[in-house]
Amino acid sequence: MKIVAVTACPTGVAHTYMAAEQLTKTAAKLGHTIKIETQGSMGIENALSQADIDSADAAILAADIMIEQVERFARIRKIECPVHAVLKHPEELFARL
Amino acid sequence: MGLDCPFICPLINGVHARPASALERVTHRFASRITIVNERTGESANAKSVLGLVGLDIRLDDHCRITVDGPDEADAAAAIIRFLDQEFPDCDEVFPLTPSAVGEIQLPPLLEHANAELLHGTSIVPGIGRGKVVRIDTLIIPEVLLQEQAGDPDAVIEQLDAGLRALDAQYDEQLAAGSGSIAASVLEAHQAIAHDPALREYLVATVRRTGGSAAAAIAAADAHFSAMLIDSGSMLLRERALDIRDVCSQLFDQVYGDGSPRERTHLTVDAICIADNLTPGGFLALDRTFLNGLVLGHSTSTSHTIVLARSFGVPTLTGVTGLGDPTLDGREVILDADLGVLVTTETPAVRRYYELEDARLAGRRERLRRTAGKPAATTDGRGVEIGANIATAAEAPLAFAAGADGIGLFRTEMLFVNRDDPPSEAEQFEDYRQAVVAASGKPVIIRMLDIGGDKPVPYLRLPKEENPFLGFRAVRMYPEFHALVRTQVRALVRASAFGQLKVMVPMISRLDEVVWVKQVIAEEQLRCASAGVAHDPAMLIGAMVEVPSMAFQLDQFCRVLDFFSIGTNDLLQYFLAVDRNSDRVAALYDPMAPAFLRLLKKIVDEIHLAGCWVGVCGELGGLASALPLLVGLGVDELSMAAPGIASAKAEVRALGWASCRKLLDQAVNCEAGSGVDHLLASFAGGQPVPLLSPDLMVFDADCTSREEAIKAIVDQLYISGRTDHPREVEAAVWQREQVYSTAFGHGFAIPHCKSDAVKANSLVILRLRQPVAWESLDGKPVSVLLLLAIRQSDEATAHLKILAALARQVMHEEFRERVEREQNPDALCAFLRESVGG
Repeated sequence: MKIVAVTACPTGVAHTYMAAEQLTKTAAKLGHTIKIETQGSMGIENALSQADIDSADAAILAADIMIEQVERFARIRKIECPVHAVLKHPEELFARL
Repeated sequence: MGLDCPFICPLINGVHARPASALERVTHRFASRITIVNERTGESANAKSVLGLVGLDIRLDDHCRITVDGPDEADAAAAIIRFLDQEFPDCDEVFPLTPSAVGEIQLPPLLEHANAELLHGTSIVPGIGRGKVVRIDTLIIPEVLLQEQAGDPDAVIEQLDAGLRALDAQYDEQLAAGSGSIAASVLEAHQAIAHDPALREYLVATVRRTGGSAAAAIAAADAHFSAMLIDSGSMLLRERALDIRDVCSQLFDQVYGDGSPRERTHLTVDAICIADNLTPGGFLALDRTFLNGLVLGHSTSTSHTIVLARSFGVPTLTGVTGLGDPTLDGREVILDADLGVLVTTETPAVRRYYELEDARLAGRRERLRRTAGKPAATTDGRGVEIGANIATAAEAPLAFAAGADGIGLFRTEMLFVNRDDPPSEAEQFEDYRQAVVAASGKPVIIRMLDIGGDKPVPYLRLPKEENPFLGFRAVRMYPEFHALVRTQVRALVRASAFGQLKVMVPMISRLDEVVWVKQVIAEEQLRCASAGVAHDPAMLIGAMVEVPSMAFQLDQFCRVLDFFSIGTNDLLQYFLAVDRNSDRVAALYDPMAPAFLRLLKKIVDEIHLAGCWVGVCGELGGLASALPLLVGLGVDELSMAAPGIASAKAEVRALGWASCRKLLDQAVNCEAGSGVDHLLASFAGGQPVPLLSPDLMVFDADCTSREEAIKAIVDQLYISGRTDHPREVEAAVWQREQVYSTAFGHGFAIPHCKSDAVKANSLVILRLRQPVAWESLDGKPVSVLLLLAIRQSDEATAHLKILAALARQVMHEEFRERVEREQNPDALCAFLRESVGG
């Protein structure tokens, strides 16, 4: 599967990146391709374009705060969850896709 | 027949001395007999006696009745009813039982959960001390006076009456001087007790019955009225016993004169001293090896004592409520002036918290001690001398042990106040010599007498002035007190033989004042030379810059003086026309006001242009938060209370002179002091401080809970000098932790915060000896903590990138294993740098 994801935690210092790393690791293990946008204290990095999103099969929005430009994901099948869900049960999350 | 005025007590604190004295002021105007009954207890008393009123133990909502009987009873009853109706309910408003500020103190979780009993106050000198509570203004009358048999009771009564009259006059004087509404209402209450007929009657009766001394009568009255209140069973009334004690103590001083033979408190065990009114002399008389903390009252006369407490690093609180509880006496307490609390019960959890606090303070001290003795220079090589302010020669050895490069200000007033005649030349010489010898070659700046109408020097008989700060003080009185000045100069000239003594003249506003003093010094030097007395003929002479006019004539002053020291306290109050002791305008007293910073810059630049030396010895010199601006000013020296020296030196070493200079340029262009505060808060030294450092790696921490582990890891930031406000950082970490736990599993937690209480972005690693329970994602306890402490206003994205990389790395097992196992701090630092950058 081709997956896109956004991670965003309250201070944008740690969990945003921990979750991104966990998603990368798990996707590789399960044989998915994934592109992850981080919305942390350095702003948006590795931004997802509308084309990225439109060409993907599903999206994971792992956020404890309101994410920016959420309208980009209006049409895609998606899972919304808190950041720690990614850290706790990453494989279950992918299973729900 | 008589008239009745019933009422219900509307006062939350009951009828204590203050409301009682207000009622007494109404009743004593009338000739009628006025009696008050508390119907709850059935007791009655004379409503013209404050002590009688207070003794009735009238509490909130008690039903009472005032009966008036006599020739003017109708008028009296009308006045009483009007008073009870209109004034009485507001009698106590100004003195709430608990101050509103209490809610603002945020206790660290460990202490909050320790079930400790705390009294809140305001911190004056930071630090933590332990000991038994000792009240040092409790009236202790020497045994010989108590036993003394007086021949003539009438003479003793006359003595007491004179004392009461003098005390009354003293209260009038203090009230006229004005010192804030709370202090005034306390004074009025004390004054009412002093002319309470019940007090005089008791004193007189005691003298007639026993034939004893005035002292014995005062002691008996104190015991009698205090006991009456303490026995009342009301906590509030017990506190009122202090009012009686205070009045008796003042009366004793009046009867036996200044320097009365009142016994000094002798400390024999570690002590926390509570004093409402502690003179500098009283402070110095305490054995400082046992003096671990001070709680001072509201009294305005304690300001010099506070200067001393700061200098000796004695943790000090003021404005503590609830001190009246007599069961406090002798109890083991902890005074925490870092948090602003007095801990009155010691539970095991409290004991543990303060063990950890001791470790924190000792850790910082040890780190600073290693470099305290070395000179301080900025990263780009500009040196700044860090000197000490002292008020007695006894402080000098302590100051040099703390790392002082010199004495920047030795205030000599302490030698002259609280005594009956001026110190002799020999006494002064010995004091100055001691300080110079303790300096072993380092400079000692001794300021000549700075005294005026606001200081208690009875033997000078200085006139009372409307505005002593603009009046006859310091150098302005020298010509009139020629002999006194000459004696001091002679002692200074002689002491100059023992090292590098520099003389400084206070309050200079005109050139001719300098000329006059230099003339006296030259004459005394000549006299020493011709008598073959050793002295330093090249002794440097300088002046305080504290009168603004001096700033506009500096080119001329620099021709006649060798050095200058800026007295920021007076300079600021003269420059901004603000009396900082006046509550209404104190907020305007802002050393960060851009106009004032411009003045300082002008002063320093012009003195340097003329090739002279300039230091700062006012309070601003020791203000840690202002240090970058002071370094930016380019002053040659900063002088401060000794306990701040080592950390000021460490701070200077972390600053870049060029960036401080730039900061100052921005600051003088701000429109208001608040802008400067903001600049300072977001200024991070200008020198990149590495995120990682071996002293931030702790491998063997002994913590028993998550709370302890978080405290320990934040304390490491304090120990390494990366924060001065660990409790603020801790609160920010907890705030984040409460959103959801940062223990992401595998025995790791990654607590973090964004706070400007952190001075430099930091990564701290703490490995625990035994794991602690934590609400972790996988339910396992935590044994490794990584603290990411980030400045709120920082834009150092380089650091954020490193932390992001680190956050990614902790998800990998190989990385975690290395962090868990590495035994060498330098190697761990190198590994982290390699894996995440930084």
